[in-house]
Amino acid sequence: MSSQTHLEEELDLSKFFDNLWVTIVWDDPVNLMNYVTYVFIKLFNFSPEKAHKLMMQVHTEGKAVVASGTREEMERAVQQLHEHGLWATLQRDDHGRV
Amino acid sequence: MGEFKGSSKAGDLTVALSNDELHILINLVEQLLELLGERNFIHHYQSDDPFAQLMAASIGNLESAIDQPEDPVLRRLLPNGYADPESAAEFRKYTESSLRTVKQTHLMYLREQLVFPVDHELPKADIAVTDPTQWLIAINDLRLALAVRLDIKNDSYEQYELMKDSDTQKPLFAVYFWLGGIQESLINHL
Repeated sequence: MSSQTHLEEELDLSKFFDNLWVTIVWDDPVNLMNYVTYVFIKLFNFSPEKAHKLMMQVHTEGKAVVASGTREEMERAVQQLHEHGLWATLQRDDHGRV
Repeated sequence: MGEFKGSSKAGDLTVALSNDELHILINLVEQLLELLGERNFIHHYQSDDPFAQLMAASIGNLESAIDQPEDPVLRRLLPNGYADPESAAEFRKYTESSLRTVKQTHLMYLREQLVFPVDHELPKADIAVTDPTQWLIAINDLRLALAVRLDIKNDSYEQYELMKDSDTQKPLFAVYFWLGGIQESLINHL
């Protein structure tokens, strides 16, 4: 009985973590800083402050996680970023794994 | 050199371009449209019949995986969505065609906007920027394409300033940085 409950918890957890995907934007020498900020605001509804902070993170650290959600949501985000000429990929969120 | 007047909010945003600048922009837009129009799956079905090509294209889209483009410019404009090659190929199969279409749409819009003034004596034409977002994205794609060909890096502006006037690449670098200036000031006029 107790092992059954344990198994169910495990299943729920794995389902939850499978839903965690992230979109990463990578630095490149072409996209202008104010253009990247503009795209972040337009696509993700970020405040200008948050968009600027993430843009600076891409610029100084080479990459930044800009969104998280289901795989389908992140594929759509990556597609939209590509439409705007930003270099983006999606992947499973490693930090969400236990 | 691409001075903007008005504002997009008021709906009267224009950019002043000389005939030479218009020529350069039109040339770049058309070259990139041509490059984006090349599809690698045409090779699977060689035919001059446009309908047969159309069918081959749609079959290619649905059933066979699409390789990453060979041209480095296309690789940059249509990048992989995943680091892992297998997932990237799968993602490309379902998204590359629509990504190409979106980029072509922006560039075709820009091409239609670039009209020479009726009076050729005018030093500059005031081009109406009816859709600043499409302008921005199209100009950005032109810069990305040029940057690949010119191998632009973070210190390329310093490199450009040190170039001799006789350097055949110098005018291309000048166009690249000119487009950056247009993009920057367009964002400031949004």
